[in-house]
Parts: sequence; C-alpha cells; structure tokens
Amino acid sequence: MGLEVKNIVAGYTREVPILNGVNLTAQDGRVTVILGPNGAGKSTLLKTIYGYLTPQEGEVLHDGKRIQDLKPNQMLGEGIAYLLQGHSVFPRMTVEENLELGGWIMRGDQKRMQTALDFVYARFPRLREKRSFLAGILSGGEQRMLEIARLTMTGPRTILLDEPSVGLMPSLVDEVYEEISKLKDERYTILMVDQNVRKSMSIADYVYALALGENRYEGPREEMEKKLDDIVREWI
Amino acid sequence: MDFSLLLDPYILTEVLVQGFVRGAMYALMAAGLSLIFGIMGVKNFGHGELFMLGAYAMFFVTVVLGWPWPVGIAVAAVALFIFGMLLERTLIDTLRRKAGRDWVLDAFILTIGILVVLQNLALILFGTSRRGVTSLIDGVLVWGPVIVSYERLMILGVASLVGLSLWAFIRFSSLGKAIRAASQNPEAAQTLGIDIRLIYTVTFGIGAALAGLAGGLLISIYPAHPTVGFEPVIKSLACVILGGLGNVPGAILAALLLGVIEAYSAFFMSAGWQNVITAGLVVLILIVRPSGLFSSSKVERA
Amino acid sequence: MTAIPARARDANPWRSTPVRVLKVLFLIGLLIFIPPLIDNPYITRIFISAVMLGVMAAIFDLMIGYAGLINFGYAGFLAVGAYTSALGTFHFQVSPWAGLLTGGLATALIGLATGVISLRLRGLYVALLTFFVGESIRFALSNSPEFTRGMLGLSVRPLPELLGFDFSRGNILAYYYLLLLLGGAIMLLLTWLVRSRFGLAFEAIREDQLATQSLGLNTTKYKLYNFTIASFLAGVMGAFYASYLGILSPSPEEFGVYRTVEILTITYVGGRGTLWGSIFAAFLLIGLQEYFRGLGPWRLVIYGSLLIFVMLFARRGLAGFKKYLW
Ligand SMILES: Nc1ncnc2c1ncn2[C@@H]1O[C@H](COP(=O)(O)OP(=O)(O)O)[C@@H](O)[C@H]1O
Ligand SMILES: [Mg+2]
Repeated sequence: MGLEVKNIVAGYTREVPILNGVNLTAQDGRVTVILGPNGAGKSTLLKTIYGYLTPQEGEVLHDGKRIQDLKPNQMLGEGIAYLLQGHSVFPRMTVEENLELGGWIMRGDQKRMQTALDFVYARFPRLREKRSFLAGILSGGEQRMLEIARLTMTGPRTILLDEPSVGLMPSLVDEVYEEISKLKDERYTILMVDQNVRKSMSIADYVYALALGENRYEGPREEMEKKLDDIVREWI
Repeated sequence: MDFSLLLDPYILTEVLVQGFVRGAMYALMAAGLSLIFGIMGVKNFGHGELFMLGAYAMFFVTVVLGWPWPVGIAVAAVALFIFGMLLERTLIDTLRRKAGRDWVLDAFILTIGILVVLQNLALILFGTSRRGVTSLIDGVLVWGPVIVSYERLMILGVASLVGLSLWAFIRFSSLGKAIRAASQNPEAAQTLGIDIRLIYTVTFGIGAALAGLAGGLLISIYPAHPTVGFEPVIKSLACVILGGLGNVPGAILAALLLGVIEAYSAFFMSAGWQNVITAGLVVLILIVRPSGLFSSSKVERA
Repeated sequence: MTAIPARARDANPWRSTPVRVLKVLFLIGLLIFIPPLIDNPYITRIFISAVMLGVMAAIFDLMIGYAGLINFGYAGFLAVGAYTSALGTFHFQVSPWAGLLTGGLATALIGLATGVISLRLRGLYVALLTFFVGESIRFALSNSPEFTRGMLGLSVRPLPELLGFDFSRGNILAYYYLLLLLGGAIMLLLTWLVRSRFGLAFEAIREDQLATQSLGLNTTKYKLYNFTIASFLAGVMGAFYASYLGILSPSPEEFGVYRTVEILTITYVGGRGTLWGSIFAAFLLIGLQEYFRGLGPWRLVIYGSLLIFVMLFARRGLAGFKKYLW
C-alpha cells in the first residue's frame, strides 16, 4: 500500500508542465528518498501529491485511495502530513499554539488534543520548556523540531518531508536526522527530499533520482549507493 | 483663541467623549479593514458601503419595526456578516482564482466596483433622504462638572465590548487561531487541515459585521443615507495606514488618536482643513514610514 | 496567457494591412464628420465627453496598464490642470491658451513630486498614496474659497478667438475639433512612447521591479518619467476641460474619487495596456450612460457592474474581444 504516484504530469501553468510522467511508490513503513538537482521538480512533485497542484494526467493513490482530487487541507484527514520547504512555523504564535494548530482537525476532541500534546512534549522536552515562547524567537534548529513535532500531532500514517535539513548547522543536521530515524522506527511511511545526499541515503530504504521532471534512476539503497557517484556527476 | 478653555473640565470631557465616540467608529471600521487586509490582502474600498447597509438595517429594525435598539445592532451585525460572506464567496473568491501576481491591486479595484454598485442601489431603493433617530437612549449622566449623554456612553460601551470580544476571539478561539495562522503562513496552515477559503470567507464576514455594527451603533450621529459610508471609509483607511497595513491593534490605536485629535482640532479649524491635515499626515507616513506608526513596537499582528 | 490560435491570423483578408488602414480611416472619418452632419449640440457634447474621457483614460492607462502604477488620485491631478489654467486667467489675466500649457506644467510638477515620494512604494501603496495626494488637492481647493471660490464654483472664461476660429461657448463644434487635435496628438504621443524603449522600461517596472533593477535598468528614472509625462498630459486635458465646461468646483463627482473611478472603469473596460481600447470603451460607456440617462442611478449601477464583470470575467477588457470585432 503506502503512497503511489502513477505517471503524473503537472506544472504551475498548463503550457509548461514541470513533471512529465513521474512514477513512484513510497512503501508502507519505509523511508523513500527522492534525489535530483535543483529545479528537477522534487518540490513540485510533493506539492502535486498534496493537492496544491492539480495533475493534468496520472493518479495519486494513498493506501489504495485516489487522492489527487482532494485539496491540501483534506490531506491530513487522509493521514498525510507535509513539511514544506523552508520555514513553516507561525512565528507570532506560541510554541503551544503552533502545536495545537497541528491538531486543528481534532480540535473538537480536547482529550485527544491533550494526549497528543503530552506525547509530543515527552518526546521534545525542549518544546515543553519553551511552550509559551513565540515560535519566531526560537533558534533555527528548535523551529525545525517544532515543525517536525507539529507533523505528528494527529498521528498520520504518511509524512512528506521537503528539505528537512537545509539551512541548518551540521550539528543540528544530525539532530534532525536522528528525529527522522525515530519516525522511521515508529513505522511512519516517509517520502523525503533532501540536499544532503549522503545523510538521506543513510536512512533510506528505497531511492529515486529525478531529472527534468522524469524518473532517472531508482533502486534499493544498497544498489543506489553504488551508482551514487554517477548520479551526482550528472547533475554538474 | 483662548487655550485655557481647553482645560475647562466641561469642555475637556466634551472633547474627549466626542473624540472617543468618533474614534470608536473609526476603530470598528479600521479593525475590520485591517483584519481583511492582513489576512486576505484585500483593501476593501467598499467598506463604507457596509457601514451604510448597517445603518439602514438599524433604521429598519428600530424605526420601521419599532424593535428595541440592541436588537437593531445585533441584526445590523448579523445581516452584514452574512452579506459579507456572500460577497466574498461570489466575487472576491472568484477573483482570487483568476488574478495572479496583481491580486492585491485587482482586489482593490474589484471592491471599488462593489462600492459603486451598492451605493447606487441604495440610492435607487431608499432615495437621498436621511433616515436616522434622534437618540436611542435618552438622558444624561451628570457627575460633578462632567456631563455625558447616556447615548454616547452606550456607544463607547458597546464598541469596547465588541473590541474586547474580537480580541478574545482572535486570541483564544480555535477559529481565531486558525485565522492568525492563515495570515502568518497560509500554505503551512493548509497542511494542518485549515480550509483557507473558509478562513477568507469568515474573515471578510467578520470585517463586514464590524462595519455593519458601526453603522447601526452610530445611527443617531450618522443617519442612514447612500453616501454615509464615504467619510468613515476614508478616515478608517487613513487609520489603517497610520497603524500599519494589516496591524489591527495599531489601526485601533490610530483610530482613537485620530478621533480625539479631530475633536480637539475642531476648536481651531474647519472640518475641511482637518481633512487636509489627515490626508497630509497619511501621505507623510507613507513616505517616511510605510509600515505605519507602531511597527517597531511589539504589538502582535492579529 | 491564453495562446492565440495561429490559424485565421494572417489568412483573414479582414485583417490585412490595407483593410486595417481603411478601417482606421473610416473611424476617423466618423469622428470628424458625424457631429457636424448631425449638427445637434447634444450629440456633439456626447462626442466631446467620450473623446475627452477616453483620452484621460488612455493617459491613466500609461500608468496602470504599462507600468503598473495606479494613480488613484487622478481626478485631483486633472483638477490641478483645470484650476491652474482657470485661476491664471481669473487672477492674473493669463490667456487660456497659455493655460493649456501652464496647466500641464503645474500638473507635471505635482506628478514629479508624487513620483519622488512614491519611489519606494509599489502597487497598492502607490494607489493609497496618490489617493490621499488627490484628496489633499481637492480639500485644499475647496477650503480656499477666497482664491478658488471653493464649492461656490469658479467660472472660467471661454478660449479667445484663435486663427479666426471662434471659441465662444455656443460654438461647441470648435471645442470638439480642438479636442480632436489635442487628443489625437496625445494619443499619437502615447502610442509612440509605449513602442519606444520607454515602453519596454515601463513594462519592466510593471513586471518586477527587483528583477529590473538587477538587470541594471534604472527603474527610478523611468517611474518618474512615467508619472511626470502622464501628469503633464492629464494637466493639459484638465485645462481643456476647464475651458470647455466653463465652471469648476472641487466636488467628489467632478474632481474626486467618483471621477477617478469613472476614468478607471473606462481604462479597465478598454483593457489595461491598450491605449486605443480606452477610446472605444469611452464611447461605449458614455453611450450607455446617455442611453440610460432616464434611469438615473441605474447607469452607475451598470458602470460598477461592468467594472466587476471586467475584473472577474473579461480581464483583458474590450481588447479581449478585439479578434471578433476588429
Ligand atoms: N511557484 C512556481 N511557479 C512557477 N514555476 C515554479 C514555481 N515553483 C517552482 N517552479 C519551477 O518549477 C521547476 C521545478 O522546481 P522545484 O520543484 O522547486 O525544484 P526542486 O525542488 O527539485 O529544486 C523549476 O524550474 C522552477 O523554476
Ligand atoms: Mg525544492
């Protein structure tokens, strides 16, 4: 099951498709990594999966259900969470408010909300300490942790990550990857894009390489690691 | 000009109360304008027409039907809430899907079209005559040298209550939080399951309700007629700029300030020159500090 | 952008160059000969209104359509031209003919100043700034009755005789032909301007200021050119308007937001970035307005609805229908 992308053609305008027939499967409970040079269409692919862009052709299935006609705000309800590229905390709201918004779709259920908050705080004690700080004044690494924590509030099955480690100091990069490994251990289905090729390969189960909006290579991690030098050379 | 007159307690309270009543009207209008701009990027030039419709609703309920004034104010607010949501869903939402990068300017032009249509429909339906009431409540409060009519106290009371409720709503309710989230990062808000279109519709409805409520509340001072919204919209637009576009508390502060300044300067100059000064002030602020008077302070942008 | 189907573009004889020239000549012929042939002052006045507002709208379009700068205080700028000319005659015996020039120059100055103070602003902010500039002008005019007669109204002398042509108020055909000459010259100037390197620079301002600046184009300079030239022409039209109308008052209908909205609607209905579209739109709108005169405020409802319609469903205005009509 997991997430299946079948022959997707999509773009920002009708005339210029960015994705020209991409195929991809993110297996249940596995980490799937998408590699590709800048501008290959990786973010565009995630946005299309999440309903920001409507595909002109093709299908997106989540656990066997067609989801390409759904809107972005319906995706979390389908069990798919999404970490956007760049900053996505609400800077002028507190850490706790940010987390509560992560649970927006279960806002009627105060008990479930509290359980989720307790769970997240247990896992990220630093966020509990800073719960009443405005998110905008947290450090870059703390903001990224808050974003990741916020993704898990509703207990989704699948998580899309767009460049989770970009722009962070090396020590923080390790921290972020530790968190992603934990998510992997908790059997989330993860589909991830990252500039940090080696790091992301190290936790990947299966890897795709895109170029110019098309599949270029794919394979299990071990196989792709051998080809890696060739792949990266092609980008330059 | 005898300046000592301004220290006379009678005149002082008179000026302050009058200033705050005006300021309250500007604030109700400016808060809605600023909220709508901050969240949707729409500068609603037709906001004065919503004020006008609120005034007519008030007149209809209290004078034509003869119901008590609190009902009238509630009806004005609720009717405009619904009307605002309809406007948003039918026109502004349609534009959002068609306009690209020029959205902010195009939306502004669209609201001008809305202004022209509403104002002239009102002219057709209701004519030019002014429809108001002399007062909603009779009597004055005498307290030492201070004399204030109950009517004005009521206006100030209701406006403060509404302002506080709005603040509490935005601050504490989950819908309010979603509105703030949508204004700070609309894309991220959507990934959390927030229906951004609904947020826009509700936000516009709230802004319209505030304008309608202002129109109803001030009916004894500004009787309903088709162009009654012109002055409020210009002045509240000025407050929104002075307070910083999209900064609701800043706009409210600017509104109270402008109200009091106008009431004071009425001693020295005609309303006409006051308008020149207000407009000049806005131009000055746009030149030297486009982000508004209070942008550096830590006021939270709702 | 919707792709224009390549077919029927060159093949259609209706669009070949000679036919186009004929079509243009035919329209010019209509403009020149209809008013004298019908010889009805009412019709002539309608033609004057349409050409005048059309040219004003084309000038407005130079700002909004080509450079993305909206002058939402436009009517205030027209007022500067009108009042400079009229007050010059009233107080200082300046010839109204010279007033066409002084009106233009005074407005150009205001335009330059407004351009300078709005340099750092974009889009909506320019609209708000110019709106309050326009309103300040209007308030200032209405609050100085000892000089401008304020809302009492300032009466303006008709243009004196020139080259044997009589410009007394009864002879509105003379005003009409003067307007055709003046308006024609302005339209040709605008057309030349937007096709020259200025046009490219204006477009660059509209598309993206930052990108333009990084390309080394001095957007500041071209923004000022745009505002100043447009204001000069607006001032000339304002001065003509004053002489033609004979009485000025700084009311919102005449020189305030309503007039700006009227002109803006014509520009948008004509299609942003299409100068000549404004002229067609002016005839359409003024025609509608006259046709529905009996309907009173309904005609303004039609105006507003048309603006809404254009914004939502016909975003290129009449220009979007050009392929069916032209
Ligand atoms: N919002 C957008 N509008 C138009 N084109 C875009 C937009 N975002 C990205 N693109 C274009 O789509 C292509 C793919 O971009 P993206 O998916 O962001 O690449 P990647 O994430 O692989 O670096 C690029 O050519 C980029 O210029
Ligand atoms: Mg990307």
